[in-house]
Amino acid sequence: MSDFVRHPAGVAGAILLTIIALAVLFGPLVAPYDPQAFHTTVRLQGPSADHWLGTDQFGRDLLSRILFGARSTIAFGVGATMISVIAGSLIGVTAGVVGGWIDSVIMRGLDGMLAVPDLLFVLLIVTMLGAGTGEAMLAVSIAFTPGMARISRSSVLSIRTREYVLAAVARGESQRYIILSEVIPNAIGPIIVEGTIRVSFAIMIGATLGFLGMGAQPPSTEWGLMVSEARQFMYRSPWVVAVPGLAIAVAAMGFNLFGDALRDAFDPRRSR
Amino acid sequence: MIKSLKQFTKTRSEMVRGMAVAVGLAAVLALPGTGFAQNETPKVGGVLKIAHSTRIATMNVLNLSGPAEYPAIDMLYSGLTRIGMDNHPHPDLAESWSANSDATVFDFKLRPNVTFHDGTPLTSDDVVATFEAIQDPARGASARSVLTMVKKVEAIDNLTVRFTLTVSYADLPVAVAHANARIISAKALAGPKENLENKPNGTGPFKLESYDSSRMTRLVRNDNYFIEGVPYLDAVELHLFPDLTAQSANYLSGNMDVLLAVEQADYDRIDKAPGSNALRVASGRFVNVVMRFDQKPFDDIRVRKALAMSIDRQTLVDVILEGLGRPARDNILSPEYAYVIDSPEIPYDTAAAKQLLADAGYPDGIKIDLVASNRPAIRGQVAIAIKQMALPAGFDINVKSMPHDTYLANYWRKGNFYMAYWGMRSTPDGAFTLLLTSDASYEDTAWNNKEFDAIVAKARSTPDDSERAQLYAEAQKLILRDTPYIIPFFQDVLTASRDGVKGWVVHPLNRVYYIESVWLDRN
Amino acid sequence: MSLGYLTRRLFSVLLVLVIVSFAVFAITMILPGNAAVMILGEYATEDQLLALAEVLGLNRPWYIQYFEWAGNILQADWGMSLRLSLPVGEVVGDAFWNSASLAVTALGTVIIIAIPLGILAALYRGSKVDLGIGLFAYVGTAMPEFVTATLLLVFLAGSAGGYLPAGGFIAPNESFPGFVSHVILPAGTLGLILMAHIARQVRSEMSDVLASDYIRAARLKGLRERTVIRRHALPNSLAPAVAVISLDIGYLLGGIIVVEEIFAWPGLGRLLIYALENRDLPVIQAITLLLAAVYALSNLFSDLVIAALDPRVRY
Repeated sequence: MSDFVRHPAGVAGAILLTIIALAVLFGPLVAPYDPQAFHTTVRLQGPSADHWLGTDQFGRDLLSRILFGARSTIAFGVGATMISVIAGSLIGVTAGVVGGWIDSVIMRGLDGMLAVPDLLFVLLIVTMLGAGTGEAMLAVSIAFTPGMARISRSSVLSIRTREYVLAAVARGESQRYIILSEVIPNAIGPIIVEGTIRVSFAIMIGATLGFLGMGAQPPSTEWGLMVSEARQFMYRSPWVVAVPGLAIAVAAMGFNLFGDALRDAFDPRRSR
Repeated sequence: MIKSLKQFTKTRSEMVRGMAVAVGLAAVLALPGTGFAQNETPKVGGVLKIAHSTRIATMNVLNLSGPAEYPAIDMLYSGLTRIGMDNHPHPDLAESWSANSDATVFDFKLRPNVTFHDGTPLTSDDVVATFEAIQDPARGASARSVLTMVKKVEAIDNLTVRFTLTVSYADLPVAVAHANARIISAKALAGPKENLENKPNGTGPFKLESYDSSRMTRLVRNDNYFIEGVPYLDAVELHLFPDLTAQSANYLSGNMDVLLAVEQADYDRIDKAPGSNALRVASGRFVNVVMRFDQKPFDDIRVRKALAMSIDRQTLVDVILEGLGRPARDNILSPEYAYVIDSPEIPYDTAAAKQLLADAGYPDGIKIDLVASNRPAIRGQVAIAIKQMALPAGFDINVKSMPHDTYLANYWRKGNFYMAYWGMRSTPDGAFTLLLTSDASYEDTAWNNKEFDAIVAKARSTPDDSERAQLYAEAQKLILRDTPYIIPFFQDVLTASRDGVKGWVVHPLNRVYYIESVWLDRN
Repeated sequence: MSLGYLTRRLFSVLLVLVIVSFAVFAITMILPGNAAVMILGEYATEDQLLALAEVLGLNRPWYIQYFEWAGNILQADWGMSLRLSLPVGEVVGDAFWNSASLAVTALGTVIIIAIPLGILAALYRGSKVDLGIGLFAYVGTAMPEFVTATLLLVFLAGSAGGYLPAGGFIAPNESFPGFVSHVILPAGTLGLILMAHIARQVRSEMSDVLASDYIRAARLKGLRERTVIRRHALPNSLAPAVAVISLDIGYLLGGIIVVEEIFAWPGLGRLLIYALENRDLPVIQAITLLLAAVYALSNLFSDLVIAALDPRVRY
C-alpha cells in the first residue's frame, strides 16, 4: 500500500477522483441554479459573476449543469461497470472453479460475445432496448460482461495453482472455504483493476451514445450529451463545449490513473 | 436580406383558365419578382457544389421526403405545373390548362417535343401513368393526400390529359405542382422499383450522372431540356456531410458553393464570413404541439387554452430561432397564405393559465409526458423550452426525447401529446386537408369537427373569391377557437451561397429551387 | 501450431457468426417499426404503410424471412437494401473498403509510432521522456472520439487551419495524394487513442521484460545494451503488444463509427447507424457479420503472430 502512495500517478488519480466524488455527492446541493432553468437574457456567455462557468444556448448555468450532471455521468460509468463486474465475476469464477464441460460451454459463449466489438454490441442492444440513459447503461454492462468474465476466469485459474490454495487443499479444507477465503480475495485484485479502468471506458461510450442520439436524451445534464449538443454553438462560446469536455476528461483521467496505480500496487511482480 | 412573399392576388377564375404559354425566358422561369439585375448576363458553364447533411436515400419522386432529396428531384423531374416564387402555379410540362365552369374537369395541354433523359418522348400516357401510380397505395406516394379529389385521369390525345374530379376544385393546378407529383415515364413506372429509386429518368433540366448516397451525387446539364438556354451550369454536385461542423467548415473554406440548409445557431457567422451570403426566406413552416382531443387532459378546451397561454412565443423565436422566424398564434396559416385572417395575440400569462387549469379541475396542475423526436432537433428544443415556460402555470412536463424511428413507430398519430413538424403548403386548403379535417391524410389530433369539414369542403368548390374568403375566415376562427394545435412560431427557411453564385434561392415551401437559373461568376 | 487447432478456431468463428446473425435478426424483429415506416416517414397513411411493407416482404413470418435470408447468404446473395434499393453486396462492399482504408492507415501509423514510443518510455523509465509520453497517453484517452475529432476539425481543417480538408473522402485509387490529405485527420483521431493504449502497454511489458532475470543474465553475459534490447527484450515484449493491438481492433471498429460521421467518411460505421435507424435488416445483418468476422479473424491472426513471436506459446 505504501507503494501506492509513492506512485505519483496514483496520487494524481486519487485527487481527481476525489473531486469527482465530491461533485457526485454534493453537486446538486451546492449548485447555484436549477440546471434546467432558462436565463434567456444571458445566453452563450462566458464566465461572469453570476455564472461562474458561463451559460449555454438556453441561458442555463453551466456550473449547475455540470454539478448535476456528475451524478448521471459517473453513475452511468460506475453503474454499468459494476453490473458487468458482478455478473462477469459470477460467470468467470464459476467457470474457473468448476471447470470441466461447464467451463468449456461458458468459454465458447464468452468467445462468441467477445467476437462482437464493444460499441457495435452496445449499439445493437441500445437499438433494441430503445434510447435512454437506463437502456444505454444496461447495454454497456451487457457488452462489458464477457470481458470481465474472461478476466475473472483467468484470474481464478492462475490462483488455483498457487501455493496457498494447494496448501488449503492439502489441509483438507472444504471447497466452499477455499473459494471464499483463498481464491476470491486474491482473484479480486485484477478484477477491480480492470473494472476501474473500464469505468472511464464506459463514460466514453456513454458520451458517444449521447452524441449519436442513442444514449442520454435532452434535457439530461449528462456530460457527453452536453458536449454533443454544444458543438453547434462552440463558435459562439467555446465554454459550452469546453466545460463539459473538461469534466469528462477529468473523470476519465482520474479513473485511468487510479486504475493503473491500483494495477501496479496489486501486482507484486511490478517492482519500482 | 429578407424576402417577403407577395399575397395571392390572382382571382380564382384566372387560375382556372390557366396561363398562356410564354416562350421567353423571363416568364417561364417562374421567378417573377426576383429577376436578375438588368445588366448581368448569365455565364454558361461551371460546376455548382452543394453541401447537405442528410442522405439522399432515394430518387423515387413519389415518396421521397428528405431535405436534400427535394433539390435533386427538382433538377431531375418536371411536373405539369410548378410553383413560382409568387406562390402561383406556372406552366412546366403543361403549357396551358383549362377547366369547365364548375371546375370538375380539367384539361392540361402538354408541351410538344419534350423527351425524357433516356430519349423517350413525353406523352399524355406518362402523365396518366404517373397519377395512377400516385393513387396506388403500394407506391406510398405523398402527393396522394393532395389529389384525393381526382376521380379519373385519362389521355384525350397524345398531348392532352383530362382530370375528372369528384368535387369542384379550382386549385387543381396548385395540387399538381406538388413536389412529389412530378411526371415519371410510363416505362419507368412499369419497370423494377429499384430503377425508380436509383436511375431517375425525368424531363428536368439536369440528368443523373453518378449517385453514391453515402458521399456525392452528380447531375449534369440536360442538353435537351425543353426550355432553351438553360440550365447555365454544366453540372451540380450534392455532397453529403453528416456532421454540421464539417459541413459548414467545407462551405466556409470555399470547398462548397452552397450550404443547402443553414442552422439558426450558425446563421450569423455564415452571413458575416467573407465570401459568403446567407439568405433567409419567411416561411409558414412550423413546429406544432399535438394535443389529442379524445383523451385526457386535452379533451377539455380550458386545458388546451391554458397551455397555449403558458408559452412565451417571442422568447421561443429569440432563443431557439435566434430571431429567424416569427411568433405564431396557433393559426396553421402564416401571414403569406391567401385568405389569412389576423389572429389575436396570445399573451404569455401563466397566472391566468393556472386559473384555467384550476377551473378545469386541475388545481394542482398537470403532470404529463411530452414526446419529441430528434429529427429535426428543433422539436426537442421547443419541447424543453415549453417545459420551462409552462412550469409556473402548473404544467409538470416530462420531455421524452427519442430517436426518430422510435417516435414514428410508437407515438406518431398514436400519442396524445407530442411535437410534430410540418413544412408549408401552397394553399389554405392544402394546409387544412393535410392535418385538420376529419379525413385529412395525416390527421393526428382527433379534432373531428364537422363544421370545419363542411366549411372546407364548401370552400373548395366556391368560385367566388369573396365568398371563399369568408368561408376561410370562418374556418380559421374555428381553429383559433378550439386550438387543435399549438403553433408557437413560423420558422424562416435559411440557406447560403458564396459570392460568385448567382440566382441561388429557396422557396418558402422549401421544396423548389430553380437551379436551372443558377449561374456561376467566378472571376 | 497444429492444423487441428486452426480448424477448431475457424469452426468456432463460423459458429459465432451463425449465432450473431440469428441474434441480430431477433433484435430487429423485436424493434418497433420497420423499413416501410422509415421510408415513408410522416407522409404515410395506414394503407400505404401496409402496402409498402408487403412489397418489401416484411409482412411474412419471421422464420420465413430468416431462412430465406440465410439460404441466400449461402449462395452469396446478400439481398437488397430495403432503404436504398441497391444490392447489399454493393453498398456494404464499397463501405467496407472505405472503412478498411481508414482503419488500416490508422493502425499502421499507430504501430509505427506507438511501439517505438512505448519502448522509449520503458528504456527511459522515470525520466521526463517517460513522463511526457505518459502524459500524452493519458490525455489521449481522456476524450471521447467525437470531441477529439471536433477539436482537430476546428483547429486543423477548413478555414481556420486551411491546411487539411474538413472531412470528405477520396478513394486511394482515384487520387492517392487526395486520399492522403483526407485521411490524415480521421486516422489521426482514431490513432490518438490507440497510440495511447499501445504505447502504454508496450511500455509496461517492456519494463517488465527489462527487469526480468532473463535480461539481467544477458547483461551479465557482457552483451552490449543494444544487442540486449534488440535480440532479447524486444521480441519478448512484442507478443503482448500484438495482443493489445488485436484487442484495440475491437475499439477501432467502434471508434470508426463516430469518426466516419464527423469526417464524412463513407464507411461501414456510418452505414450501420443509418441501417439501424432505418430498420434496413439485410444491411444490418451484413455489416454485423462482416465486422464480427473481421474481429474474430484478426484475433486469430494475432494469436498466430504471438505464437510465431513467442516459442513458449503452444497451441
